[in-house]
Amino acid sequence: MGCCYSCKEDLNSQSGEVNERTHLLVDPVSNNTAIQRVHSDDFIAQYPNSLPKKSDEQSALNRILQETATNVIDVAALDSHNLEQHEYLERMRHYTQRLGAMGANINLRFKRSENAVGVGGAGAGNLLAPSTLGGSSTSPSGRLHLCLLSDIPAPEKVLAEDHPNPEDLAIISGALEKATKALSDLKVEHREDLVVPFRIP
Amino acid sequence: MPVSNQNLQLSDMRKLISQLLARVDGVYGILITDRDGVPLLKATNEKVPELATRPGFLSTFGMAADQGGKLGLGKNKFIVCLYSNYQVVHLNKLPLVVTFIASSSCNTGHILSLEEHLEPLVCDLKCAVNGDA
Repeated sequence: MGCCYSCKEDLNSQSGEVNERTHLLVDPVSNNTAIQRVHSDDFIAQYPNSLPKKSDEQSALNRILQETATNVIDVAALDSHNLEQHEYLERMRHYTQRLGAMGANINLRFKRSENAVGVGGAGAGNLLAPSTLGGSSTSPSGRLHLCLLSDIPAPEKVLAEDHPNPEDLAIISGALEKATKALSDLKVEHREDLVVPFRIP
Repeated sequence: MPVSNQNLQLSDMRKLISQLLARVDGVYGILITDRDGVPLLKATNEKVPELATRPGFLSTFGMAADQGGKLGLGKNKFIVCLYSNYQVVHLNKLPLVVTFIASSSCNTGHILSLEEHLEPLVCDLKCAVNGDA
């Protein structure tokens, strides 16, 4: 319809969606034959087989009507659809059956997602825990990414947690001091030359 | 045996969205429905308003998303509705619709971040719905 075709048209037409660049008539040949009929009766008499059928015209018109109705933003028609109660119940039962028959596929994906999200309440006490919502994220490939500083849903819950037990803190501090001391005492003992001269005559 | 297997599968899926419900403070319900508002899966707590879980309410999003897609701005991805007492977030996963019902003070960004966790589940549910046709 427009004069200019952009490269985006190909993308849209591939998805099969109707947009402003979609041709109203899928088969433009039927349109051309209609014009011939109007302008030349003799031509039609000579070639009766080329006469366009009424049903073709009707279907083309119906198609135009349907596509126009699809493209028009019709706010008034929004509340026209109501689901019957029995239909609602029947469909719900049908969905339940379908979900039950889906097999292990969903379970497998679910487990992966569950691991990525982590189980437990929001802000379960550890500021840097990967199990908090903001602390982990999954890429489309399902890989887990960790980040130290992240937005968490309920910071007040995390901040209002009780202090750790002083004895636990003492144990942790003691272990840390020992580890630090051990690391600082770590030395490389020199026993033989690092550079070995080759016996080149 | 098939019945117990079915219950296990369904309970697993329900468990997943119940866990997601607990992840974000202030979310009262997560509903995965078809475009007519018929629920496939849902997890709600006692604070969720009953009116917001009715198919008449839920199905309006499907129609609004369809009409909004004609505005020339591209496909509608989600709609956030803020009310004085609640907020409702609809995700466009047509033929499915994911609806979050939350308190008005709930962090909308956190609600939207649940989308990526729901994505694999919704993909599988879509297959189930498409299999109906």
